[in-house]
Amino acid sequence: MPSKKTAAPLLDARQAAFLGGPLSIGLASHGADGRPSLSRAYGCRVSADRREVVIYVSRRRAAELLRDVAAGAPVAAVFSRPATHETLQLKAARARVRAVAAADAAAMAASGAAFAAELTALGYPEAFLSAMLAPLRDEAMAVAFCPEGAFEQTPGPAAGRRLEPGA
Amino acid sequence: MSLPLRALRRCFEGAIPATIATCAPDGMPNVAKLSHVHFVDDGHVALSYQFFNKTRANILANPHALVEVVDPVSAAHYQLRLAYLRTETEGPLFETMKARLAAIASHTGMSKVFRLLGSDVYRVLDVGLVPGDHDQPGPPRTDLVAALRACQADLAPCSDLAGLLDAALASLERHLDIRHAMLLLLDPGRRCLYTVASRGYPESGVGSEVGLGEGIVGVAAAARTPIRIGHAVEEYRYSQATRRRFADSDARIVLETEIPLPGLAEAASQLALPLAVAGRLIGVLYVESPSEQRFGYEDEDAMAVLAGQLALQLDWLARGAEPAQDSAPMPAPRPAAPVPPGATVTIRHFAADHSVFVDNDYLIKGVAGAIVWKLLREYRDAGRDEFSNRELRLDGSLGLPGVTDNLDARLILLQRRLAERCPFLTMTKTGRGRFRLAVGRPFLLVEDPAP
Repeated sequence: MPSKKTAAPLLDARQAAFLGGPLSIGLASHGADGRPSLSRAYGCRVSADRREVVIYVSRRRAAELLRDVAAGAPVAAVFSRPATHETLQLKAARARVRAVAAADAAAMAASGAAFAAELTALGYPEAFLSAMLAPLRDEAMAVAFCPEGAFEQTPGPAAGRRLEPGA
Repeated sequence: MSLPLRALRRCFEGAIPATIATCAPDGMPNVAKLSHVHFVDDGHVALSYQFFNKTRANILANPHALVEVVDPVSAAHYQLRLAYLRTETEGPLFETMKARLAAIASHTGMSKVFRLLGSDVYRVLDVGLVPGDHDQPGPPRTDLVAALRACQADLAPCSDLAGLLDAALASLERHLDIRHAMLLLLDPGRRCLYTVASRGYPESGVGSEVGLGEGIVGVAAAARTPIRIGHAVEEYRYSQATRRRFADSDARIVLETEIPLPGLAEAASQLALPLAVAGRLIGVLYVESPSEQRFGYEDEDAMAVLAGQLALQLDWLARGAEPAQDSAPMPAPRPAAPVPPGATVTIRHFAADHSVFVDNDYLIKGVAGAIVWKLLREYRDAGRDEFSNRELRLDGSLGLPGVTDNLDARLILLQRRLAERCPFLTMTKTGRGRFRLAVGRPFLLVEDPAP
């Protein structure tokens, strides 16, 4: 296996840009009993070298998921753009739970604003948007991982296709 | 289960995509978006199987799934813990999901992408509200129960079929603000449904037909399940079904023998409910609206209850609530009536399908065509203008399909079709199970025998 430093990152520039856009995000893991855990996430950030993805969840809403991730279970995250249905899934054997830093807060705010603008354009009312984004306040946690698998999930015949680095 | 599933049915309208998480045997989770979670009952939901994807591979190996749905009004999130049970590839659940998937696909520009291969049925193990700042779900609507009661009060006193049909459609408008509706009854012999009453259209369309399995009405009838669509879907539209019928019809019949269905050209919400009694289909109640998402789950509940009562009452009336004066002697044939004034009309009958044309304009076919032809011959040959339902029932040449022949419905259909298309021929009720034929112009009967 090539070293992380020399191999191309799994995510290309276009995918990294997509992850910074207006997205509906879901993050899943599983418990010791093999049953899935799941939470909506409120934004994400891709590191400059495109090797790490950080996703923001609500501590209160994602309690079970955070416990599973902290226990070392693998993660899967789905990112879907409401207006186009363009969808990407990333997977990793492990992830790290940490508090949010200042840079995270800025990324969360940008993701939230983009998502809200997208839903507004699709006709969702203001009250619905604020309820969708409210869980971010004061209780966000960051889940960071290095994606090991990326899958095309836009509805259609290519859905499920594994994406290769540099392909 | 912490919450009854029916309390969150609004989440299953397809307004906001759901998310599903599953686990592979090696422990790797998979998470995907779902266009549609279908409410089956308080203990079950069904998911559409459109592609063999990772979710499906996972649930076949590990049946546990977690689905998160979103209330499109309050933004409340709910998590459903599910266990996969089975896949259905035909039948009422499959047909309902197919129609609703088509509606969602059409609404989201995915018509060429979404195709239902099966309905994956899951047991719901637990329903949990995700903590958040959303509004609490409001109380269930109670206005529908009051409206339903008012509709029932309108129907209950109806003692004849024509009155019942009109009362049913009028009460929908009056109490439920449903302004476009039609009632179709089953012709079991020809495997089609014929429109016997409608409301809210420029042309009544009485006598128009739709085959079992065709359009939303035909699918609801064939699958015996309500079909509800909240977005315009081309393949479930009446106009589409009609076009296909025209295209498939035998080209050798040069004369047009189709009455256009009266549906809205731009229906955005449609609801078709089968009318059935003791497991036997008798017809379909169909309502529609130009507004999207006009009919929700609760509307469907109310309409299904109404359809149940309507079916019972229709069936009761069809089973000979009108035999009364059958034993009374028929009046003697009238003396030869003076020939009415006006130009002679040529009325032509094709024995092959009992289609009847008045001066080359299509009037009616099938049993109703056979009836009007018999009446006109008796009028011409025996000088009769009074007829009884009983003699029609006993006439084997009319092709009535047995005990529950729906003769009354066919007479109503014929009477209304004549009033619309042939006003010089009128049928007037003269007593229970009796009617009179009046002819206002001279006519010539021409028989085209079966080839």
